[in-house]
Amino acid sequence: MTDLPPPTPEEESEFLAAEYALGLAEGENLTEARDRARRDSLFAGAVAAWQERLVAMTDAIAPVAPPARVKKALIKSLFPNIRVPFMQRLWVWQGLTFASLAMLAVLAMPMLRPDAPTIAGPIYGTQLTGTIDDLQVYAVLDPSRGGIAVTRTAGAPPTGRVLELWALLPDAAPVSLGLVPDDATHLKLPPEIAAQIDNLTLAISDEPPGGAPEGAPTGEIRAVGTVEEI
Amino acid sequence: MDREEIERLIARVALKDRAAFEELYDRVSAKLFGVCLRVLNKRAAAEDAMQDTFVKIWNNADRYQANGLSPMTWLITIARNTSIDRLRARKKGHQDIDTPGMELVATGPSPEQSAIAASEASKLTGCLDALDADRGAAIRGAYLDGETYADLAERFKVPLNTMRTWLRRGLISLRECMSQ
Repeated sequence: MTDLPPPTPEEESEFLAAEYALGLAEGENLTEARDRARRDSLFAGAVAAWQERLVAMTDAIAPVAPPARVKKALIKSLFPNIRVPFMQRLWVWQGLTFASLAMLAVLAMPMLRPDAPTIAGPIYGTQLTGTIDDLQVYAVLDPSRGGIAVTRTAGAPPTGRVLELWALLPDAAPVSLGLVPDDATHLKLPPEIAAQIDNLTLAISDEPPGGAPEGAPTGEIRAVGTVEEI
Repeated sequence: MDREEIERLIARVALKDRAAFEELYDRVSAKLFGVCLRVLNKRAAAEDAMQDTFVKIWNNADRYQANGLSPMTWLITIARNTSIDRLRARKKGHQDIDTPGMELVATGPSPEQSAIAASEASKLTGCLDALDADRGAAIRGAYLDGETYADLAERFKVPLNTMRTWLRRGLISLRECMSQ
């Protein structure tokens, strides 16, 4: 070993780049390599070149399809609100945890009667997201029983105003469904609206106390949501 | 694997294009999972490493362009380094290996350096086999099994400094062989 000439600085540098790419650099060497890789473009180039050389060791490694749960977990961790069909409905279920309790209280009343209907129709819901501020309201609609449970989870009407819920149907004027004075409100779903529930959009406007005087919204539309079957 | 296609996807991921990210995942995850499995040898650990790998890809795709690596090298190296960090994590005092393109400055004056290295890559296996057997095994052990100098010195029953000298000679011979 003594017959070798001492390495030149270039050789040292090259070796450090290789060690760094291999993951062998430790302690002070690692600190130096890390620092130079960030600042010294020649050194960074040498590291990249070693990475290119060494990666060929993976050529012989056969691809293995990872289980689907890896992608699911990845997507879920990176994009908590991702729009895949199942996840798209998550907010509805989050809403349900609030709204359904209130809704169930209403729906359970007739169930206590001896002739209570045992089969319920489909349940619909929507999240009304604020268009102006952070107002957030969930609505759960039960067309078979003609009820709407409205839960406000964020936001509030402007001072001196009240929130009013509107049914929007294609080619028709907005129909008031009632005021939403509290965090949780129960409203009636008129049969003529329930009949068109597949095309229904809900909106919330701010109105003077007592609600829109002429039966049509006068204030600003503060939140909108498209109704979907849950 | 079509290099331009993967580069195009990474560029879109850099712009936080989710659809491109999922497409990139579908295109390369099997190769990367193979690498994670090879290093970690356990499915559960490899699955975790895969998830970490793709989180890094998502977060650092904007830094890929500058580092001059071929796209598959960048992706595989992230998977390999992430897996080795996991493998070593149990060991006391372990310092994480850095991942390319996150720490490397733009390769600047010699971007062809890594391109040349890439074209040499097909010679790697032959050149590793041409090395003194122990040196070849030490380089493979470091790259694929995350063996440290201490691990290698123990395996080959030589002092640590000797191990380092061995490896240095091995790497010099390897580079010479690959550039021929």
